[in-house]
Amino acid sequence: MEHPLVMIRVKNLYKIYKVGETKVRALNGVDFTLYKGEFCAIVGTSGSGKSTLLNMLAGLEKPTKGEIEIAGKRIEKLTEKELVTFRREKVGFIFQSYNLLNTMNAIENVALPLSFRGMKRKARLERAKKYMDLVGVGRQAKHMPNQMSGGQQQRVGIARALAVNPQIIFADEPTGNLDSKTTMEVLKLMQKIVREQKQTLVMVTHDNNLASYADRRIRIIDGKIVSIEEGAIEIGEENGDQGGMAT
Amino acid sequence: MKFHDLLIMSINNLRRRKLRTVLTVLGVVIGTASIVVMVSLGIGLNELTTEQISSYGSLTTVEVYSNSRWNYDSSDSKSEPDYITDDVIKRFERIPHVRGVSPVLSVDVMVSQGAYQAYAELYGVSEDFLKEIPIKEGELPTAKDKELRMVVGNMVHTRFYNSKTGSSYWDTLEISVDFMNKPLYVIYDTDAYFASQGVSESGSSIKPPKKYMIHTAALVEGGVEDWNSYSYDIYVEISQLEEQLKRIFRKKPIPGQPTTKKGKALPYLVYNSARVFVDDMSNVTEVQKTITDLGYEANSNMEWLEQSKQQSQMVQAVLGGIGAVSLFVAAIGIANTMMMSIYERTKEIGVMKVLGCDMRNIRDMFLLESGFIGFMGGIVGLLLSVLISEAVNHFVGGEALTGIAGDLSRIPLWLNLAALGFAVFVGMAAGFIPATRAMKLSPLAAIRNE
Repeated sequence: MEHPLVMIRVKNLYKIYKVGETKVRALNGVDFTLYKGEFCAIVGTSGSGKSTLLNMLAGLEKPTKGEIEIAGKRIEKLTEKELVTFRREKVGFIFQSYNLLNTMNAIENVALPLSFRGMKRKARLERAKKYMDLVGVGRQAKHMPNQMSGGQQQRVGIARALAVNPQIIFADEPTGNLDSKTTMEVLKLMQKIVREQKQTLVMVTHDNNLASYADRRIRIIDGKIVSIEEGAIEIGEENGDQGGMAT
Repeated sequence: MKFHDLLIMSINNLRRRKLRTVLTVLGVVIGTASIVVMVSLGIGLNELTTEQISSYGSLTTVEVYSNSRWNYDSSDSKSEPDYITDDVIKRFERIPHVRGVSPVLSVDVMVSQGAYQAYAELYGVSEDFLKEIPIKEGELPTAKDKELRMVVGNMVHTRFYNSKTGSSYWDTLEISVDFMNKPLYVIYDTDAYFASQGVSESGSSIKPPKKYMIHTAALVEGGVEDWNSYSYDIYVEISQLEEQLKRIFRKKPIPGQPTTKKGKALPYLVYNSARVFVDDMSNVTEVQKTITDLGYEANSNMEWLEQSKQQSQMVQAVLGGIGAVSLFVAAIGIANTMMMSIYERTKEIGVMKVLGCDMRNIRDMFLLESGFIGFMGGIVGLLLSVLISEAVNHFVGGEALTGIAGDLSRIPLWLNLAALGFAVFVGMAAGFIPATRAMKLSPLAAIRNE
């Protein structure tokens, strides 16, 4: 196997919150490496520290100690302003509750991060349309978020993450608000995108079943990585299996 | 982010909460309108008083009197008395900003036409001075006229009485003298005239002084009972007057002129006062001070105007203050609305930050929103205040308050622009703290799943 490009390298990462007198170790020495083109799941129960890890990878929180290198850049050393630029230029985001802006229609939502880059309206709407077609909501371009189903909204969310042509996409419980049928559709879409667009995707989830569709699973309990597994279930092959992988 | 995109986003956000936006804007409307109306009243009052004062005489003239003019005791010879003479007039002319200087020589005379006669003051003044007089009919006399001609005040009629019946204008209210078509007969030597009237005492009659026939060149503007500063007297061109006086009195002292110790006439003419014309209103005070420093007494309407200006400025400040209070309340309303908006949109702002929106852009977006509230309120407020101003002028004339006709409420262009600018400024200032707060909101709020 050829050696792929390193996208994320985390070394000895700690995050310690102070709650009154007691110290809570949300992350307690985490090390791992992810490669370009990988679909990675960070799996853990609520309170395990998986969300903290994602926030720090996305530059939303500062680590207490340790190194985070993303696409060759040490992001724990960046100022808040530089972090904003970093997210704008390099990162796409998929949220659990979609987080589309209600004042804008679907295509404007997809084009929004491009407007932060100062891209002209016509150019960014064209690009947004392209990605909406790709994720299969091209016909809902003019719909307002509250006129769409959850699955459609999340597809718009995915298009928004893709439209900025990021080096890495973070997804925080992307299927948490969806029913099981739509969940599989969205998951399938994400898998397809990672394969076809050669994107790197990091997904946080508490659901082992969902995680089993990722190329690499990082299990995290009480701020520590307990195992890293490789190998994914391709959705086309294993369609009916739900909940079977629970440990 | 492009400004255009920011603007669209801000406006969309305002449109999303229409009722709240309208209510907040309404506050600014009331605030702006009350400031503009109040200030317009202040401006109206101020301008009305200026108009009133300038109707009493020009605002660019300074009256100069000599301190020793009425002090006939020239035996006190410690220094030459500072009479206003031709030399002094020339000195005044050299003061910066002085456009011209007119000597004023007043002569008490007796005028008559038929049975009607009157005592009047004849003022000898320069052509510059004459030009200041508003004329109803006729033309101004000049130094090049063949003979002395008069400008007669519109109220001079009221000084005449019938020498046979003793009844005056105020008894009959009849206009009995025709100035423009018939000449007046003027007696300069009034002392001699009175002496000639007192026949019985001395027994021997004194020959009455000679009368001089003078034509009227012009009448001062205004009806018989409309007072202005020129209406009560008669004005003539000074060089002509001097010539005539010299011809009449020759070596004898002219009545009213100071004399030497021996009672002889001075070799030069002493003027009662001088009128200094200043090029601009703003220089009057300076010129007046220069003249006072030279040792003369100087008066101008400017002093009066400045006093009443100070007064009306105070009134204006009070009125503006009242208006400012309501705009201040509106500002609190804006701040409150923006604050609410931020709490509502915490998640949205977080999302934008996660997606890489510059913090500055977020602040600018909120500032634009609050500024836009101020702008809309300002525009509507201006329209409203124009309506109110029209209503005030329609129902409450300036006459009722100050006795002068004219609009009480005046909105100059600068007030419009200033009010609009101020409304936008207030909106942005009120939105500044909320905007900074929005800028500093944690992006983590977007990640939290409620």
